[in-house]
Amino acid sequence: MQKEKKWFKPLFEFGDSPIPKKVKKDSSKIQKPKNSNKDSAACQSNGNIPHINDRNWMKNFDPVIVEDLAVHNKKVQEVDEWMKTACMSSKSDMLLLSGPVGCGKTATIRTLAAKYNIKITEWITPLDIEYPTEFGDYEFKVSQSKKFLEFIINSANFVSLLDNNSCKLVLVEDFPNVFIRTPSEFTDVLQQYKVRAKSPIVFICSDTHTDNKNTAFHLFSPSLKEQFNIHHIMFNSVSATGLKAALKRATEIITKKYTSTYNIPTADIIESVVNTSGGDVRSAILNLHFASLKGSSGNLETSIIIEKEVKSKTTRKKKNSANKFMSLGKDQTVSILHGVGRVLNPKELINNEGQKVLTHCPKDIIEQFLSQPSSFIGFLEENYLPHFSCAYDVDKAASALSESDFLLAEWREKLCQEYGLYTAVAGLMLSNKSPVSAWNPVRGPKNMRVTYPDLRELPLLEPNYLYKGKVLVTDYITYCKIIGNQTKDVDENT
Amino acid sequence: MSLWVDKHRPKDLMKLDYHKDQATRLKSLVQQSDFPHLLVYGPSGAGKKTRIMCLLRELYGSGAERLRQETMHFTTPSNKKIEIMTVSSNYHIEVNPTDVGIHDRVVIMDLVKNVAQTHQIDSSGQREFKVVILNEVDDLTKDAQHALRRTMEKYVTTCRLILIANSISRVIPAIRSRCLTIRVPAPTEAEITNVLQSVCKKEGLNLPTDLGMRIAKCSDRNLRRALLMCEACKAQQYPFTSDQKVPEPDWQTFIRTTAAMILSEQSPKKLGEVRQKLYELIIHGVPPDMIFAGLLKELVQNCDMVMKCQVASYAAEYEHRMRLGNKAIFHIEAFVAKFMAIYKKYVEESLM
Repeated sequence: MQKEKKWFKPLFEFGDSPIPKKVKKDSSKIQKPKNSNKDSAACQSNGNIPHINDRNWMKNFDPVIVEDLAVHNKKVQEVDEWMKTACMSSKSDMLLLSGPVGCGKTATIRTLAAKYNIKITEWITPLDIEYPTEFGDYEFKVSQSKKFLEFIINSANFVSLLDNNSCKLVLVEDFPNVFIRTPSEFTDVLQQYKVRAKSPIVFICSDTHTDNKNTAFHLFSPSLKEQFNIHHIMFNSVSATGLKAALKRATEIITKKYTSTYNIPTADIIESVVNTSGGDVRSAILNLHFASLKGSSGNLETSIIIEKEVKSKTTRKKKNSANKFMSLGKDQTVSILHGVGRVLNPKELINNEGQKVLTHCPKDIIEQFLSQPSSFIGFLEENYLPHFSCAYDVDKAASALSESDFLLAEWREKLCQEYGLYTAVAGLMLSNKSPVSAWNPVRGPKNMRVTYPDLRELPLLEPNYLYKGKVLVTDYITYCKIIGNQTKDVDENT
Repeated sequence: MSLWVDKHRPKDLMKLDYHKDQATRLKSLVQQSDFPHLLVYGPSGAGKKTRIMCLLRELYGSGAERLRQETMHFTTPSNKKIEIMTVSSNYHIEVNPTDVGIHDRVVIMDLVKNVAQTHQIDSSGQREFKVVILNEVDDLTKDAQHALRRTMEKYVTTCRLILIANSISRVIPAIRSRCLTIRVPAPTEAEITNVLQSVCKKEGLNLPTDLGMRIAKCSDRNLRRALLMCEACKAQQYPFTSDQKVPEPDWQTFIRTTAAMILSEQSPKKLGEVRQKLYELIIHGVPPDMIFAGLLKELVQNCDMVMKCQVASYAAEYEHRMRLGNKAIFHIEAFVAKFMAIYKKYVEESLM
């Protein structure tokens, strides 16, 4: 192992492998933290700042056995069963794992593979920047999808010389871009794989908010899943208890091995980390790392400052007395219906000085907001009335909405959008002094498309005259009806 | 059989019933071979279009009256296909660019370009330019108005634009300055009565003077509406009696009932019901400003002088916001809510 004194080290070990795209991740590597302990002792005896002792210190906390996983037991079992049957049968079974980021999809696969001594080969899309040869022209390159197919089939069928285990698993987390653009090519690749390969393959997709960027949704259509008999397991984000257990385990590891690097995290810190990370194990570990990091003995002062910073930015909320790191963790996002609910049913709390304070202040709601201001205000407008009981309050609210629409009309100025949204949200939240608490279903804004009357319905009009829709509505239509009826009567009489 | 409005539309500048001085000026304008771009504005039903058609006849002779309908297709930059109805003769083309909503810019640019690029084949004795008539210029988006400004300059040799608007306050100054602006004021009630009398004479009917006066009053100085009312009166009851009912447009009745709803109860629930009514009006194409005016007119009848003043000033404020904003319903609703608050306070105070 080469030692580099750089602060940044590549996450992927390419070794001396002549083909860089064949990245072999050894499942045995997970156990590495055990021997790295010695290094840290050596470093400290040197009197240097102790290094975090792995190439990737996150690995210190990687789960080793199945019980360490923060994922729900049932899910782990499901994957476990699939893996058992698939690897034993040595057929080209396919599994798709999907779920939000950091919910332990990859960790589950890796840990289970370690348990059954299965070798994982992972595809990592190589760089496709082309370098010219010395003569200045470009080499002929094989297409990305072809490379991908070759790689997964080779790694499924051929055993590495370096180890001799029989079970193999191909893992694809990094989908080549070509498939995102043309999903049909992916079908061809799967077809080939189905026929030629002898090992199971696992696809891992992270869910994203927008549907069109969602690989699990876009690439793996229901028909495709049926065609290749792909088993689909969906992961949920990690529960608070799961997170807490995982962090407790991390704390144990710290107390056992890394007291030189970390302060032992207190229950308070763990609590805050759980609250901050929102069901994301990876970010929870990162936050824990940052929150409990300590400097070297020679550099204590800075470490205190860091600690102070973290603590001072820890806010205390009245309601559930939960702590959150302001500087760390994920931003919360609010979906449109959730946002409508928060604005229309504002909750107030009494703070220490006896003043009324909103639980979700308008500024926060706006900051956490993802969708278009105008569509959100449309929703608010459609739904605010049933929440009000007093005509005076409604007057203020309606006035705020009208102001915000006026502000939103200036679409060229980006700030105006924000101001408009703020006016509407704050106006609605603050104006309702006597709210009605009843269940009101949220309705979507009305489609206000104006439909002018059809000329064919008005036979009295001149055929070759251009009538304006407005004029038809305001002047012609009533009288045409009266006159039309009359002429019909006359016709019938005669 | 066609409506009286269409049947008795004057076809010659000299046969117009009112604004005769303006008519002679228009005649002398086109007697010279050329004329500038025109921007004709005035309230609805004042006779803008009638004057323009007379002008075209004066220019091109009766050929300008042979009209045909045609649907034109355009493609927006975002590849959306839009179609629009046009009415044209050999010499002119007329279009309502606002029919296509926010895509009006594409229509204006492509249409004017199409027309302007084809020269007149038969130039013997004819004018060397075509005329493009654009309706409702004041409702065009700002984008479209700026596009119009550019096209006006570019194609000035081969085509003339005649723009029609209700008010020039929403036409950008650049366009206003490039056109000869002609105002067509609404006819007075006396003028309307005269027209009604002459039309009835042509139809061989006898119109009592009182009824004529009353129709003119009901019509809001809108000649088109007056003629339609008159014909509807005839359809309902003939021979005319001077005290017969003059039918009013159904949207006005609708607004009246809505106003009665507002006055009957001032609560959020009622406002919700009122909103449904307003939606209905807007979706059926009644222009929001007319809804606003109608509501105000009905509501202030039940107010004392102080309140009237207050309500009118709020109405002006919200109406202004409505012009600048996107969604008319927001502002009408805000006005109704404001009125409810004021009225409720007034009622509560008077009870104490």
